[in-house]
Amino acid sequence: MSLVLAALLQQPAAPPAPPPGPPALEVGVVAPDFAIPGATRYGTLKNPVRLSDYKGKTVVLAFFFKARTRG
Amino acid sequence: MNAYRDQYAQVFKNGRNVVLLAISADVDTALASWARDADYPVLFGSDTGSAVGKAYGAYNAQYKLDNRNLFVVGPDGRIAYRATPFREIDPTSYTELGAAINKLVPADTTAH
Repeated sequence: MSLVLAALLQQPAAPPAPPPGPPALEVGVVAPDFAIPGATRYGTLKNPVRLSDYKGKTVVLAFFFKARTRG
Repeated sequence: MNAYRDQYAQVFKNGRNVVLLAISADVDTALASWARDADYPVLFGSDTGSAVGKAYGAYNAQYKLDNRNLFVVGPDGRIAYRATPFREIDPTSYTELGAAINKLVPADTTAH
């Protein structure tokens, strides 16, 4: 038993968890502008999607894990 | 994403003065293919470097993907509502989101 305990105690510690991502932006702050490739059901877009192009409209930014998943 | 599509008319006003931009780390061709196959009336953004996810605090460092966070940006360019995470399969999520959008977007009085 003592040998088993000694072996367990010598196990290397689990690697530290990766740092969490940055905190989510708060309500009221200016939304950072960005320009990223875009796509619709009709294909990819020639020009990047820029948040600033939609100033004056309401924009819903819906982040998700991955295409073709429920995420 | 199916729920977004199914709620598009009611919550997102069929895109009238509301832009629904769905963002993930997928490449744009994968997003276009998926949107075509599932007939999503949604604008997709390809955040392959996760720069946007990091800027908004949606990035998940463990999986190197974006969490299902949602932000509503008002016409003034400021964040007016957020859901972190947005529970896509919970109906109350759409009630709250719809109320947030309705505060920002005038009611459509156009006869249909």
